[in-house]
Amino acid sequence: MNRCTRARELFGPYWDDESTRAEREWLESHFNACPACREEYESLARTLSAVATLPRHEAAPDLAERALAVAKRATPAADRVFANAAPRWQPLAAAAAALAISIASVIAWQGGRVPQVAIHTGPVASPRLVSLGGAPAATGVPHARRATAASGSAAAISDSLFDHSEDVDFVLDPVTLRRGRAHAGASPSHRLPGDQAVITF
Amino acid sequence: MAPDREPLLPQIVSLSDEDLMARVAEDDERSCTELVRRYQGRVTNLISRILNDRNGADDLSQEVFVRVFVHRRNYRRGSKLSTWIFTIAANLAKNEIRRRVRRRNWFSLDALTDVLQDSMIQLSDPAEGREAGMEREQLQGEVGRAIATVPEKYRLALVLRDIEGLAYEEIAEVLGIPGGTVRSRINRARSMLKRKLEPLLRKQETS
Repeated sequence: MNRCTRARELFGPYWDDESTRAEREWLESHFNACPACREEYESLARTLSAVATLPRHEAAPDLAERALAVAKRATPAADRVFANAAPRWQPLAAAAAALAISIASVIAWQGGRVPQVAIHTGPVASPRLVSLGGAPAATGVPHARRATAASGSAAAISDSLFDHSEDVDFVLDPVTLRRGRAHAGASPSHRLPGDQAVITF
Repeated sequence: MAPDREPLLPQIVSLSDEDLMARVAEDDERSCTELVRRYQGRVTNLISRILNDRNGADDLSQEVFVRVFVHRRNYRRGSKLSTWIFTIAANLAKNEIRRRVRRRNWFSLDALTDVLQDSMIQLSDPAEGREAGMEREQLQGEVGRAIATVPEKYRLALVLRDIEGLAYEEIAEVLGIPGGTVRSRINRARSMLKRKLEPLLRKQETS
């Protein structure tokens, strides 16, 4: 490579003080031997000195305020900059309010009566069949209502947390289809206990 | 919300760039003001020298900080904040150059306004004679215009290096080009500028 070409490649690093010591010493020795390269470098140095002495342009005094104002408008609503952030407790308060409304609705639906809770620690009673006839079944399985009458309400609700003493037992009557209409299979002469009802279709 | 005009708290002023940016990401308005205070001078000067248009630089600087605020959560902790901001500024300046080139009507009025404003500043300096001030202002105007004639990709590298004093590595990051390309672009830009300014500078030196 031509010595002058190599020297001119080193002008930039030399000006920026990024050349190695060996490069710097070589270039300075070349300047002593080559007036053309020396003149070329001085011309570059004059140019860059003129650039370096340019006055700095200051920012407008209200730049921060204007930038903030525009940023607030520019940000999407879901991620709005510096908008008044919603308090973090708002979601909890909303959930609590929804729960309270739900509870109040249930209470109102139940006629304002708060369900009574009975704690029973005895064994869970096995399911009992409900007979359609007036007399207890011959199997000896007592009717739940009679059991209630016999042993009190606590025994009657052995499988529930709620008081079922006022409940009505519903018995689904067998359904038969006759000429496209549903009719109760049981005859009207069936007599049910006073606290039982038959749903027919 | 009205802009915060209260004086900045000492602890905000002493925050590192990273910590400051973390508070900006949490929508702390005072930290935003401090961020602008730290970088507004460099950003405005960078854009002004790339465009050779001081008035246009005000608007574009504003846009730089708007983008910083809007994309505040995209800033990666650990990266250099100045590099991120200069990248935004350089990209906006580049877009503005291209937009102006398309319109072909940008130089004359802006440059004239710039020269007049500089003249007013120089003339108001009592320590400097009127004639010397005008000569200096004229030279600065010529230098600014000469920079503006350097092709865009070389000009950006030149201004980042020779006006803002960024290291080659940081320029490479800002422009998204390899370090070797940065070096060659700066060398090319300096050579172009030297060719344009040499007659003027030589003349001034002999006078």
